[in-house]
Amino acid sequence: MDAIQTFKLTRRFNSLVAVDGIDLKIAEGELFSLLGPNGAGKTTTINMLCCLLKPTEGTAQIMGYDIIKQPFKIKQTIGVSPQETAISEHLNSWENLALIGKIHGMSSDEVKRRSGELLEVMGLMERGKDRVGKFSGGMKRRLSIAMAMVHNPSILFLDEPTLGLDPQARRATWEHIAQLKERKTILLTTHYMEEADFLSDRVAIIDEGKIVAMGTPRQLKANFLKTRTMLILAENITPEIMQGLKSRYSQVKEVGGKLGISDENLDFRELTDYLHSNGAVVRSAALEKPTLEDVFIHLTGKEIRE
Amino acid sequence: MRFWEIGNRNLKELYRDPVALAFLLGMPLVFILIFSFAFGGQATRPISIGVVDEDQSQISAAFVGCLENIPALEVASPVYKSQSEAEKELNTGGLSIYLLIPHGFGKAVERQQTVDLALAYNQVDPMLPQRVMPMVRAVALEFLNIPVPLNIELSQREAEIKDEYINYLIPGMAVFGLMILITSVGGIMVRDRVKGFLSRLMTTPARPSDFIFGYTLPFIPVIIISIATYFGVGILVGLSIIGNIGLAFLILFIIGICCMGIGMIIGTLAKSEEQALGAPWIFIVPLVMISGAWWPVEQMPSVIKGIAEALPFLHAMDACRDVVTRGASFTGILPDLYWLIGWTMALFALGIVLFRRSMAR
Repeated sequence: MDAIQTFKLTRRFNSLVAVDGIDLKIAEGELFSLLGPNGAGKTTTINMLCCLLKPTEGTAQIMGYDIIKQPFKIKQTIGVSPQETAISEHLNSWENLALIGKIHGMSSDEVKRRSGELLEVMGLMERGKDRVGKFSGGMKRRLSIAMAMVHNPSILFLDEPTLGLDPQARRATWEHIAQLKERKTILLTTHYMEEADFLSDRVAIIDEGKIVAMGTPRQLKANFLKTRTMLILAENITPEIMQGLKSRYSQVKEVGGKLGISDENLDFRELTDYLHSNGAVVRSAALEKPTLEDVFIHLTGKEIRE
Repeated sequence: MRFWEIGNRNLKELYRDPVALAFLLGMPLVFILIFSFAFGGQATRPISIGVVDEDQSQISAAFVGCLENIPALEVASPVYKSQSEAEKELNTGGLSIYLLIPHGFGKAVERQQTVDLALAYNQVDPMLPQRVMPMVRAVALEFLNIPVPLNIELSQREAEIKDEYINYLIPGMAVFGLMILITSVGGIMVRDRVKGFLSRLMTTPARPSDFIFGYTLPFIPVIIISIATYFGVGILVGLSIIGNIGLAFLILFIIGICCMGIGMIIGTLAKSEEQALGAPWIFIVPLVMISGAWWPVEQMPSVIKGIAEALPFLHAMDACRDVVTRGASFTGILPDLYWLIGWTMALFALGIVLFRRSMAR
């Protein structure tokens, strides 16, 4: 049985289609990332899977339970770390963890033992008795993730787990998530390419509510390797030249003031010759090493970070 | 017992924020002190005394003149001609004490016979006769100038109502003060929603009723302490409760719960903390005004009176005032109580429906 399966999952807000007929299958024990820019529909998808939002069309199953018909069953099996840090500021870490544990029906002893483990893993034990309102952003995030796990859920939803953290804290949080990976099914959303690349077993790239590509990070990049992209900074690009480029190459995009030209087995010399002979002045040209970001740009024609 | 866990958390959130808590619990105190200072001040005022001059002689008129010269006394004007008028005032609380100058006063003075005077008072201030008696005796002796047998008869009446403004004011202030629960309950809910904490709780197996109770129960001690403050400090500044204080407490307690219900609805509907904390005052203040917190609603236009009567606040104030000033019984205030309980139940039902909807939009 798949841990998570969605069937044409759709959510509209008035005329806006936030999530547009998504079909996903996530196996038990997999760490799956939804990668996309802000507003792509990642959080809406997670909120539907956590039974916080009802789908407009389609449905999904979590561990075989239907999100529309059996939300209570699902809530017993999942743990969620929302995008907002969502901790109780006047409580200490132990109390925050105990709150969630006890709502899930755990005994005081269980809660204590489990909280101790988690605080240790998340590196929060030393400040466990301090009120969490005074914690740094990274510590709050780590506590938030621990709160999602205190009742030992079989599925973990992490919505932007490193949002707003500095690179060092982000790296540390990744390490913590990586430690959990073996034991849980995790669905993570992010708009950081490196994060998806570093953590995920599989990635789905989502844009404007649709999944535009899915696979392991390696697969996604490998598929992309066949096509090569040149980033060119050039002057005197006339509409005629653009027209010519578009007829010769599979993809021509303007990205951050540069021309991104992609094609299978793209020939660098041929491209620059064409530009020169038509009067354009090439200032710089570089062959792109493919990253997930390239995959994203290639697929959607836009940069992921605005 | 999931509601207990949520309630426990909210209790900690509430009571570990000293500034917010001081504001919440200190407000009744500040309120009462400001208002009783502004409108009360009975202690330093001269004693208001009615005078009935049945004798209608020059001598009795001169005696009244002497009384009027005493700074510690304020003789109510006009001087009554018959005892029944003064009795009526005493009975309705318009007067707390009056002096009767009977027929034959002037003649008795002229003939140097025993002079009879009578003081009648109601229960508003039991200390009053003891303060007034020596003053009247002193004035009389001074006036007569020669030792004449003087007999002052004291008698007590049961007044039906107590019309001291403080007794009118405190129930109104208490209801107004308890309305802060609207923004307190609404505020904590919206804060948790904006910060995503409520979403987190909604992904747990907690039910709507767990949230409703979890977010309201922690405020029960606030209601109890607030009411106790209104009555306790109220008594210190001159409030006297004729009826059953427990009954008065119950009425205010129910309106407190009712306000939490409104808070819950606002907490569910408001989009931001500013909305939840600010917007309610736009209707709270006018509502309190038209519900007769400071002045009676009788003089208001019938439309406004109708609105006030449809809402629960006027009923809470009226019922509480009836108990405080008239000693109304449980059955006496039952119609108001039904109204209050009806509103409270309806608001909570609506709150649960709205909250349930917000859980899966």
